[in-house]
Amino acid sequence: MNTQLLPAPTAHKGPDGAGPRAGSGERAGSGRFAGQHRLRMLRTDLLTVAAWASMAAAVALWLADGGAASISSPASAVTAAGIVAGLVGMDLVLLMLLLAARIPLIDRTIGHDRALEFHRVLGKPSLYLLLAHGLLVAVGYGMAEGLDPVSESVALWVLVPDMWLAFVSMGLFIAVVVTSLVAVRRRFPYEFWYAVHLLTYVAVGTSIPHQFSVGGLFAEGTWQRWYWLAICAVTGAALLYFRVVQPLAATSRHRLTVSRVWSIAPGVVNIEMTGRQLNRLTGNGGRFFVWRFLARGLWWHSHPFSLSAEPLATGPDGAGTLRITVRNLGRGSAQLASLRPGTKVAVEGPYGLFGTAARSRDKVVLIGAGIGITPLRALLETTPFAHGDATVLLRGSTKQELYLSDELLEICRRRGVRLFHLIGPRARWDSRSWLPADAVRSGYSLAAYAPDIAEADVYICGPNRWAGNVIAEARAAGAGAEQIHHERFDW
Amino acid sequence: MKARGAVSAALASAGILLAGWQAGAQVVETSSAVAASAGTTGTGTGTTGAAGTGSAGTGASGAAGSASSSGAAASSGASGSSGAAAASATYKGALVQTRFGAVQVQITVSAGKVTDVTALQLTDDDRKSVQISNRAAPLLRSEVLEAQSADVQTIGGATVTSDAYLSSLQAALDAANL
Repeated sequence: MNTQLLPAPTAHKGPDGAGPRAGSGERAGSGRFAGQHRLRMLRTDLLTVAAWASMAAAVALWLADGGAASISSPASAVTAAGIVAGLVGMDLVLLMLLLAARIPLIDRTIGHDRALEFHRVLGKPSLYLLLAHGLLVAVGYGMAEGLDPVSESVALWVLVPDMWLAFVSMGLFIAVVVTSLVAVRRRFPYEFWYAVHLLTYVAVGTSIPHQFSVGGLFAEGTWQRWYWLAICAVTGAALLYFRVVQPLAATSRHRLTVSRVWSIAPGVVNIEMTGRQLNRLTGNGGRFFVWRFLARGLWWHSHPFSLSAEPLATGPDGAGTLRITVRNLGRGSAQLASLRPGTKVAVEGPYGLFGTAARSRDKVVLIGAGIGITPLRALLETTPFAHGDATVLLRGSTKQELYLSDELLEICRRRGVRLFHLIGPRARWDSRSWLPADAVRSGYSLAAYAPDIAEADVYICGPNRWAGNVIAEARAAGAGAEQIHHERFDW
Repeated sequence: MKARGAVSAALASAGILLAGWQAGAQVVETSSAVAASAGTTGTGTGTTGAAGTGSAGTGASGAAGSASSSGAAASSGASGSSGAAAASATYKGALVQTRFGAVQVQITVSAGKVTDVTALQLTDDDRKSVQISNRAAPLLRSEVLEAQSADVQTIGGATVTSDAYLSSLQAALDAANL
């Protein structure tokens, strides 16, 4: 085992030195991040309420229109169920779009990856609701007219204006969800999956006409129509603004240009960029940006990478440099090693909650493996903590895999941080282990390295399986769910 | 924290649903009042003895048939007594079910010519259908009066209503032997 212990020179008081340990019940009650944490939890709850309320509103508007009273026969009951399924399904689709719109409020509250997780979770239910909508309405209408659902569907397609668009929309929704299922996604290149995903916008677009021309609830002159128009418009505007306008504005504001590309380990390169107004990007250590290098063959790949060094804005107008560290993970990343200085860079972000905004405690524990170490570096540089209140654990199977370890060592010295290098092959006999085999044999655990983990914010960045094991052990050591900050980077 | 979010979400949703339900109940009360008054005026106008044949046309529902026959006796005497060619008679079309509600028309025939078409019932399942019906009915009426047959263009954007209207009309024309 190659464990390197660096006692902080000034404040080596140990976890118990700072007076009586706060009881676990009131840990979040004080400290400089307590207020920020309470606010974030409040925002989380408000967003939860808003999401559920929007679904309730979809049904309530139907009820307010006399929906329940229109049920007078089996046929109308089936039709009514179909209409409700369609309304809730539409609401879920709009929620999904909002979750994917990278709205700062959502991003700063639950984080980009959790927003996308909810987005994925909603995918199947909304498809099932839309399918149920189509089937139930066809059956219900068919029963009222004495037709079987198939000929009723044909009649709807042929006779009712805008309905053929709705059928097209349904087909697109099915295509999008099927291609998004992870199993299928693996067999296609990411760009194909992405292009199919863009079809969602077409699917939503083609579904809207029939809602307003055929749907009785959206009839002209009703205030329900205005409600639905408004939420459709708000969703569209949010997507347009946060996913198109803002990235373009950021790109033209910062004018990022590749200035230097150098290799720091086999397959790992540092990319340094110069730009303007970089001070507007500082202070968020660990959050990630979506980069697009505007060179031939590269511009259509977008790369989500964290900064590996806080932007240094030295010149006037915030002119300065920033840096990312990239390992060859995919085809796209491999080409980055051949980037030429002078290449223009489009940037979106910062996104994610892997930064100071997520802090809830005074102490902090940073745990990174492999290339996952690099976002920790920027975070360690800026996030506030007192001497002796931070612990950093770096994991790699060889010393070369501890990327940027020299820089990290330097920061740890300067800020009084305990730093451990955990080097060696993993313990293959223990599927729940995240430590090197030597450390496991010697009986070390997470609490041995970070005894105060129960009262610290824990930032974890590394491969998914490994990170899962770390999270499990951190939870077992007493860290609450809200103290654990994990960023997925195997996009 | 999770519990707080879940509870407030549940409460908010329940409140919204309740408000919707309440508003819905009020809408139903007012609309049923309107329907009731509409119903009385409908029976007040009365119909002729031809009603029986009209409803037999394509085998409409029993309820519609019985409703029309009750009014029939009253007015059939009046229009039937004149007996001359100038006498006008009314014929009811079949009750046609559509996905947006039932449609039934009545024609007034005088001297072998259709002089008027009245819609006894139009697609009215929801507000949109009512709107479509209100727009389509006058157009269809004038088209039919001009063509003197059910062989007219359907109204764009009101295809379902038009088709039902015209097939009910055809039944009425058949009943009148036109």
